[in-house]
Amino acid sequence: MRAIPAVALLLASLACHAETPQQIRQIYVAEASSQQAGFTPSAKRGEAFFRQRFANNDKMPACTSCHTDSPLNAGEHAVTGKSIKPLAVAANPNRLSDPAKVEKWFGRNCKEVVGRACTPAEKADFVTFLSEVR
Amino acid sequence: MQKILVWDWPVRLGHWLMVGGFILAWLTSESESLRLVHVLSGGVVVAVALFRLPWGFIGSRYARFVDFVRGPGSVVDYLRSLIRLDPDHHTGHNPAGGWAIVLLLGLGIATGLVGWAMYNELGGDWLEELHEGLAATMLTVVFIHVAGVISGSLLHGENLVRAMITGHKQGSPDAAIASARPLAAIILIAWVGVAAWWLAS
Ligand code: HEM
Ligand code: HEM
Repeated sequence: MRAIPAVALLLASLACHAETPQQIRQIYVAEASSQQAGFTPSAKRGEAFFRQRFANNDKMPACTSCHTDSPLNAGEHAVTGKSIKPLAVAANPNRLSDPAKVEKWFGRNCKEVVGRACTPAEKADFVTFLSEVR
Repeated sequence: MQKILVWDWPVRLGHWLMVGGFILAWLTSESESLRLVHVLSGGVVVAVALFRLPWGFIGSRYARFVDFVRGPGSVVDYLRSLIRLDPDHHTGHNPAGGWAIVLLLGLGIATGLVGWAMYNELGGDWLEELHEGLAATMLTVVFIHVAGVISGSLLHGENLVRAMITGHKQGSPDAAIASARPLAAIILIAWVGVAAWWLAS
């Protein structure tokens, strides 16, 4: 069962055309629902996750360490100081258009900030927050 | 045949700086906390390779491209001699090794400059794919290079890794280089420091 969403992501990225934020959200929602019946994504939970401080990495304790208090703003890398384009779709239409890229950054930064992989439910909430925040 | 000096200081020091930089850049490539270490160590690889280009013209005898970049015929001859388990002895680089060196220098520069462009947002997402692809290609050449060094060492009964540290190989006394060029090694260190720091800033 766990393999199906992964395969869906892979196929979606192989198809090589831009996806919409809704399609990417749908992939994570499907995966979360398969683990937790009746799951509905919540932008509110996504925002709470965005602001939560984890006791894992002193240099970057939260998403906000690099992405500022609002995903509508351009961020600044906590270590290199390089600027990072806004995460919110409203501020940056290129976001949530490439499933492989989304997975890559969840994979990398969940491990580093949270200290573990993010769950499908967390990912579904988070992309919902990013596509709805104004 | 006796032990003679063949590798000057810039060749040896540059080699091991490049090895260290490359390994560190690989180990830190996926971490945002270690991003600066990645960029600095990758910068060391680029800086050494950029220094090596002019050194291939003005360096000591065996450091020069004319000494080890040969046509495909010589490469085939050498690989044949390797398969016969009786490789031809070369005081400097053998012809197959010579091409590995050219590839490693070129890939080191290309990988690092693409990384630098990406770091400074001078292009789109395709730069990330290119950077990763070049790095993976370089890793493949590194494996071939190391396999060549090990097989060459075993078949010649000459420790080529130690030669890359001490600078000495077997050869006739008149084939030795006159100086290990220590001054140029100091310039190399200064250049690597400045260039890597600049690439990372
Ligand atoms: C730890 C693994 C490695 C060992 C033991 C090793 C050993 C050697 C040896 C013995 C030579 C001389 C070849 C000959 O006599 O024909 C050589 C040359 C060279 N190697 Fe490596 N190498 C290693 C890794 C690497 C890596 C990782 C790179 C690049 C990232 C690299 C780049 C080069 C270059 C550019 C030369 C030519 C040196 C010059 O003339 O300036 N090597 N290596
Ligand atoms: C020649 C030495 C280098 C090697 C072997 C190397 C290798 C790699 C590899 C394998 C990755 C992982 C890519 C991924 O998983 O997405 C990476 C990422 C990265 N490298 Fe390098 N790199 C080198 C030099 C540099 C330099 C000189 C810079 C900048 C000045 C740089 C900047 C970056 C950045 C910013 C990333 C993160 C890319 C992303 O956003 O996905 N690299 N590198």
